[in-house]
Amino acid sequence: MSAPKTAPETVPGGPASAFRIAMGTGGWLVAAFLALPILVVIPVSLTDTSYIGLPKDGLSLQHYESYFTSARWLGGTAASILVGLAVALISTVLGAAFSIGCWFLGNRAATIARWVLIVPILVPPVVQSLGFYRFWVTLGLIDTWTGVILAHTLLALPYVSISVFAALANLDPKLPQAARSLGASVWRTVWEVVVPAARPGMITGAVFAFIVSFDEIVSVLFITVRRVETLPKLIWEGIQDNIDPTIAVVATVLVLVTLVLAGAVAVRRT
Amino acid sequence: MTDAILSIRNALKTYGETNALDHVDLDVAEGEFLTLLGPSGSGKTTLLTAVAGFTQLTAGTVSMRGANITSLPPEKRGFGMVFQGYALFPTMTVGQNVGFPLKVRGVGKAEIRDRVKECLDLVQMAAFADRMPSQLSGGQQQRVALARALSFRPQVLLLDEPLSALDKKLRADLQWELKALHEKLGVTFIYVTHDQEEALSMSDRIVILSGGKIQQAGDPETLYNRPRTGFVANFLGKSNFADAKVLAHLPGAAACDLGGAAVEIDSPAPPPVGTTARVALRPERIVLGAAGGPGVPGRVAQISYLGERAQLIVETDTLGPLLVSRPTWKAGIHPERDLPVTLTWDRDACVFLEEA
Ligand SMILES: Nc1ncnc2c1ncn2[C@@H]1O[C@H](COP(=O)(O)OP(=O)(O)OP(=O)(O)O)[C@@H](O)[C@H]1O
Ligand SMILES: [Mg+2]
Repeated sequence: MSAPKTAPETVPGGPASAFRIAMGTGGWLVAAFLALPILVVIPVSLTDTSYIGLPKDGLSLQHYESYFTSARWLGGTAASILVGLAVALISTVLGAAFSIGCWFLGNRAATIARWVLIVPILVPPVVQSLGFYRFWVTLGLIDTWTGVILAHTLLALPYVSISVFAALANLDPKLPQAARSLGASVWRTVWEVVVPAARPGMITGAVFAFIVSFDEIVSVLFITVRRVETLPKLIWEGIQDNIDPTIAVVATVLVLVTLVLAGAVAVRRT
Repeated sequence: MTDAILSIRNALKTYGETNALDHVDLDVAEGEFLTLLGPSGSGKTTLLTAVAGFTQLTAGTVSMRGANITSLPPEKRGFGMVFQGYALFPTMTVGQNVGFPLKVRGVGKAEIRDRVKECLDLVQMAAFADRMPSQLSGGQQQRVALARALSFRPQVLLLDEPLSALDKKLRADLQWELKALHEKLGVTFIYVTHDQEEALSMSDRIVILSGGKIQQAGDPETLYNRPRTGFVANFLGKSNFADAKVLAHLPGAAACDLGGAAVEIDSPAPPPVGTTARVALRPERIVLGAAGGPGVPGRVAQISYLGERAQLIVETDTLGPLLVSRPTWKAGIHPERDLPVTLTWDRDACVFLEEA
């Protein structure tokens, strides 16, 4: 046997014990339980049938072709990405400004304001969407891109501000005083001292905001009609109208993109 | 004072019911090392931040070389400040931290580089310019904070308990360095501490605060030897207190009755004849003698050995328990518990206190 000998001591994390093996096995089982329902869309997307199901006589890329040639599907995908980016940008700017402001004040009013901003997470999405619907009718925002971006921004704000708050939690409250005693104006202090410290939280918040917007459907169903179509809405309608396997293609593409992104993040972290 | 760089007049700061500063008047001389000393909550930080511009006074003025700066924002005052927790910018390197005040002032890149190096050299941190603050020890962070506060060559440096987070040994080292830096640069230092030894060892002048009021200001020796109030006498070192009845005025002294014994107490301006005044007496000024001699008779009640010195509590009939501090190497009687002794002191050892 020429296989390299791997001494157990050199395994990172210490020698393999019964406990470690049990935990490892359990971990993989849970991962499989979580992942398999997601991965099942991959064979379905390759089906040669014209309805949703596992491949019958062989694999086929016909549904991939119809996805990548359908103006409606591609349009919906592009729309969701653009809306998501807009939401990420706007909610990150607003959420960071809010959190940094609260951090600066650091008083009771700021604490109350934080809670008020975070409460919407607890409200059922249907209730919130009903609220959006009522308001958007008044504002004339029904079935507009502005309306969707605005609604998603409001939904994403709590997540952004939570992650920015977390980034600022351990920041020395004397830093602004230090910066100003060194000659920096208030704005310069915010820009050069506080914002850089908040940046990790802003990045996390922006990713969250994008995800919140990208897969949001409840409010979209309430406040759009025909003109505005996002990817989740198309999937939803696709399921209702016909059982088109293109949906499985969309799902597969999303899973792959997510895996690539998660992999990229993991590689960057280590 | 004619050469005052900073003048604080009638400064009042109230938070609700409490007066954090209670009508404070203070002149800071150009180039001096001034220490604000006082117990917790006495208003030291409030006074310092009022000078820095972070605390808005309820009433009163702060002026610099005659110009009123009371309502000038902190960034326009140009005072360096060193904080208790260092307050280094965590996202900048050591070099960027030190260069920050220069960058804010629009100084060119090349000059910033030179000045940063010069300032880091001053605090022996030049080798650490590219580190992040989180990679430094407490003492190193404090040095960087000092370099940063000095890099823009302020005329006044404000320090709020800069050494209090450090261990004793390091604190002593940095005290020397700070003092040397002060002498080298000639910058005016206003230094806050609640550590009386630190204050005594470093300062040109000490201002003792209590309850937002200045109790007494003066050079360390004067404050220690001629405290004006009981508070000062007990805050700077320890003191014994007794009541003395003034019997007659002598040139530069007063004849008094101290617990039944007739004594003379040196004083340039003793209290009026017939009044009773409190006097303070330092433990180390009391001399221990064998029983039976002239002086105040007593009995040793407690001894604690402190190495170079021993502290004794001597129970006297006329003056109650007195604290005595005595070098352990001193020849003569060897004090032990219940030993009868006689206490004496020089006529300049007692100090008349104002009512307080
Ligand atoms: N922002 C504030 N709000 C209310 N009261 C305050 C505030 N800042 C200070 N005080 C009060 O003013 C008084 C003086 O406070 P200050 O911080 O100046 O004391 P200090 O001498 O620096 O004490 P320490 O040695 O504990 O730092 C205290 O009674 C304090 O409670
Ligand atoms: Mg303080």
